[in-house]
Amino acid sequence: MSAWHRPASLTEAIGLLAEGGVVAAGCTDLFPATRRQALSGPVIDLTRVAEMRGISETRGGWRFGAAVRWSEVLSAALPPAFDGLKAAAREVGSVQIQNAGTLGGNLCNASPAADGVPGLLTLEAEVELAGPAGMRRLPLAAFLAGARRTALAPGEVLVAIHVPSHAAAGRGAFLKLGARRYLVISIAMVAARLVVKGGRIDRAAVAVGACGPVASRLPALEAALAGIAPEDAAAAVSEALVAPALAPIGDVRGDAEYRGVVAVELVRRALRGLAAEGMR
Amino acid sequence: MSHDLTLTINGTRQQIALDDPRVTLLDLLRERLHLTGTKKGCDRGQCGACTVLIDGRRQNACLALALSHDGAEITTIEGLAEGDTLHPVQAAFVAEDGMQCGYCTPGQVMSAVGLIAEGRAGTDPERIREGMSGNLCRCAAYSGITRAVLAAAEEMTTTKGERKTA
Repeated sequence: MSAWHRPASLTEAIGLLAEGGVVAAGCTDLFPATRRQALSGPVIDLTRVAEMRGISETRGGWRFGAAVRWSEVLSAALPPAFDGLKAAAREVGSVQIQNAGTLGGNLCNASPAADGVPGLLTLEAEVELAGPAGMRRLPLAAFLAGARRTALAPGEVLVAIHVPSHAAAGRGAFLKLGARRYLVISIAMVAARLVVKGGRIDRAAVAVGACGPVASRLPALEAALAGIAPEDAAAAVSEALVAPALAPIGDVRGDAEYRGVVAVELVRRALRGLAAEGMR
Repeated sequence: MSHDLTLTINGTRQQIALDDPRVTLLDLLRERLHLTGTKKGCDRGQCGACTVLIDGRRQNACLALALSHDGAEITTIEGLAEGDTLHPVQAAFVAEDGMQCGYCTPGQVMSAVGLIAEGRAGTDPERIREGMSGNLCRCAAYSGITRAVLAAAEEMTTTKGERKTA
C-alpha cells in the first residue's frame, strides 16, 4: 500500500518531503520517466500548495508559483517582455500537456531542451527554494547545474520563479526548431529580449537552449548589440559571437554541427522578428 | 487504507474508494468505471487518444493521477451525445470522414471540443492543426479531421449566435 499526500501549505509540504517520496505536479514528465508499472513510494502532489500557485505582480517584479501550468502563462496578462515566455508556453508539447505541465516541473526536470529556460534566462529569473533549512533564492542559471541536475538540496523544493521588474522591460521573442512544426522536442531554441531607447538597443538579453547541457545566455553577442539600431541587430550576429557560449551534442534530433548552425540562424530570426515588431 | 475520491463524470457525481492511490484517471475510467470510449494509446502523453476534459480543459488522462483531480468534473466521449443525437463535433467527424480505423477518434473529438471551447482557433486551418497537434492519427486522416473541426467550429459558433439573437 502506497501513501498519497496533497499538502495545502508549504510548511506541510516540506514536512512531507523530509520523509521522502515521489514529487508530483503536472505529471507530464513524471509518468513517461517511470519505467515501472506504477509510481513507486509515497506520492506528494504539490499542485494544491497555496504558495506554489498563481501569477502575480509583486513590489519587486513578477512572481510565478512553481505549480503554475503553461496554459496559465499563456493566458496571463503580462508585459511584452514576457512574449518570449508566452511563445514557449504555446510550444511545450500539446495543449493537453500545457494544461497539465508546470513551470516548476520544467525547471526541476532540468532537461537540456526545457522550453521554459531560455525565456526565463532572458528575464533574469530567480528561483525561490524552500527546505528544512529555510528559504533561499538563486539565479536560474545557478539553479540549473547540468543536464537533469539542479541545485535542489535533499528535502528542498522549488516554490516560485521571480522576474525582477528591471527585466520585465522591453519585448521578448522565442523561436524553437524541431523536426516538424508542432508537438516536438527542440533541436535548438532561442529567446531574446530587447530594451530599445531612442531608436537604439539599450539592453539585449539572448539565450540559446538545447545546444548544451543547460541553456545559456550569450554575453558577447549581448554586448555587441548594445547601442545599435534594432533593425541592424540581425546583421550583427556572427558565429563568433554565438558559438563560444554553446556546447552542442549530436543526438537523434540533430548533430552538433547542425545545432551550431541553426542556433546562429535562430538568433538572427528572433532579432529580425523583434525589429519588425516596431521596436524603437 | 483506501482513498476516497469524488468525481462528476459526464454530469453524474460519483464517489469512488481507491485501494491504490497511484491509479491514473485513464485506468480508473476504463478498468473501474468501464467507460472504455477513452482509449489507451501510448500511455505516456504523446498520442492524445486518452484526451478527456477535466473541468473543461483537455488533458491526457494517462498522465493524470485520479486522486489529484478529486472534486473535478470529467467529460469523456460517452458524455457528448444526447441520446441518439450526436454532438456537433461527432457529427462533423462522420460527415467529413475524419477517421479511418477510429481508435484515435474519441481523443480527437474530445480535443476538438476543448479546442473550440478555448475560442482561440477561429476558422484558420493552420491554427486548428496547431491546436489539434496533441492528437496523433496513425491512419493519417488529418485533412478530414481538420475539415471536421472547422465545420464543427463554424456550426457551433453560428448556432450560438442565432441563440443570442433569438
